Amino acid sequence: MEELLNTDDTQIINIILIAIGLLLLMALAIVLFFYFSRKKIIKAELEKARLEIDHQKELLQATIITQEEERSRIAQDLHDAISSKLNVVSLNANFLTEKDITTDDANKFGESILSVTSTVLENSRRIAHDLLPPTLSKFGLEAALEELCDEVSESGKFQINYEAQYAMGALPPDEELHLFRVAQELLNNSIKYSEASQIDMLLKESESQIDFQYKDNGKGFVMEEAEKAKGLGMSGIKNRIAILKATMDMKSAPNKGIEVKIEKPLHNSI
Amino acid sequence: MSSLEFFRLIGDIVIYTSPIIALIYFISFIRNNKAYKVFAVYLLLIALIQLGSYYVGRGYLHKNNLYYSHYYFISQFILLSFFYYELLRNNLIKLILAITLLFVSYQFISDVSIYTRYNPLGMSITHAILVVYAMIYLYKSLQGKKEFIIVNVGLLIYLISSTLIFASGNLVLDLDFSLETKRILINVNRFLSLIFQILVLVEWLRNYRPKFKTN
Repeated sequence: MEELLNTDDTQIINIILIAIGLLLLMALAIVLFFYFSRKKIIKAELEKARLEIDHQKELLQATIITQEEERSRIAQDLHDAISSKLNVVSLNANFLTEKDITTDDANKFGESILSVTSTVLENSRRIAHDLLPPTLSKFGLEAALEELCDEVSESGKFQINYEAQYAMGALPPDEELHLFRVAQELLNNSIKYSEASQIDMLLKESESQIDFQYKDNGKGFVMEEAEKAKGLGMSGIKNRIAILKATMDMKSAPNKGIEVKIEKPLHNSI
Repeated sequence: MSSLEFFRLIGDIVIYTSPIIALIYFISFIRNNKAYKVFAVYLLLIALIQLGSYYVGRGYLHKNNLYYSHYYFISQFILLSFFYYELLRNNLIKLILAITLLFVSYQFISDVSIYTRYNPLGMSITHAILVVYAMIYLYKSLQGKKEFIIVNVGLLIYLISSTLIFASGNLVLDLDFSLETKRILINVNRFLSLIFQILVLVEWLRNYRPKFKTN
């Protein structure tokens, strides 16, 4: 009897011990699970931060490259359109200083100087205008885009339909500039690559947002390839859209032209 | 050394090191936040209860020391609830504390004889609630660096495993087991609390040790 009781005792104790062991195992499993999850999460966060930094580096690089390209373009413009012309003026003026010069010659040189200086004036105005159109700051986005379209259609290559319904000052000036630059870049791309004949541009203001739509009937491109190519123009457009806190939907395919829709929500304070 | 002597040694280590660890925690008492202070008080109180029960039960008097278990689990529940309140900042913890204390008081009022025995239900409930807090805190510590992670792990392991030992206390007593059999459970508990104390010490050494300036 005594022995029987003892075996019962040990059995119960064994069960309790096994249960304690299992509980301990469970607790350890929970702790280990959390430990490894934590490691994984931290790793993922580090990876995310690294990607973010990489992206910012790329952005910075693109900005610097764009800046340099812009500088060399301006330098080229100044050299071609102003410096070389002023050289001619200087040369002609030099002739005028000579003593034995006839009135006819003097008149001829004077006319030449006049015509060259007026070209230089015109050129310098054009360069300044290209850098920052005064229309934008004076008359707002609607007028600036209209002017841009007029300039492009003057070349006769394209037919541009421009529609606008936009109250001046609906967007702050810096945001207007971003949107203007985006339009300018899209037009540039169409001119350079698309071989399009028809371009539609629409600027529309509604109560809650500004819509900008752009369409051409050119040869288009494969979206993925354009993403990979990391063309500076494209990244510029994307950056500006990000700064504007707007959304952009761009569609294109070979021989289907391009279609861009930009929506910029308005946060008017009531 | 027989296993009996081995576990007796572990028991003695736990009994004597727990007040030492509590005092170590008091070294940096003022400089640290409220959670740390609550935890230091908890360590001290538990050490005192352990010493008391040791004195009454084994050391000198050889009397029934079971009533110490009530002081132990109730004060542990109150202090650790405040500890987790400081860490988790959720008012629900205070509400649960009040309700559970009411329930335990009701238990004692309805059956006074429980005082001289274990209270398995009360112990299991308080331990289970603390385990839930520990798990929630573990989950929250997944993101970012949090304090008391090692202590939290120690509490989780100790509370989960020791719950069954205390809960089975009355059963073991009623079945009138031999002393050796009862000792097995006591020894397992000693071993678990030793692990807990080591983790508490590691936490202090790693995060709360006073840093002396080196010239």
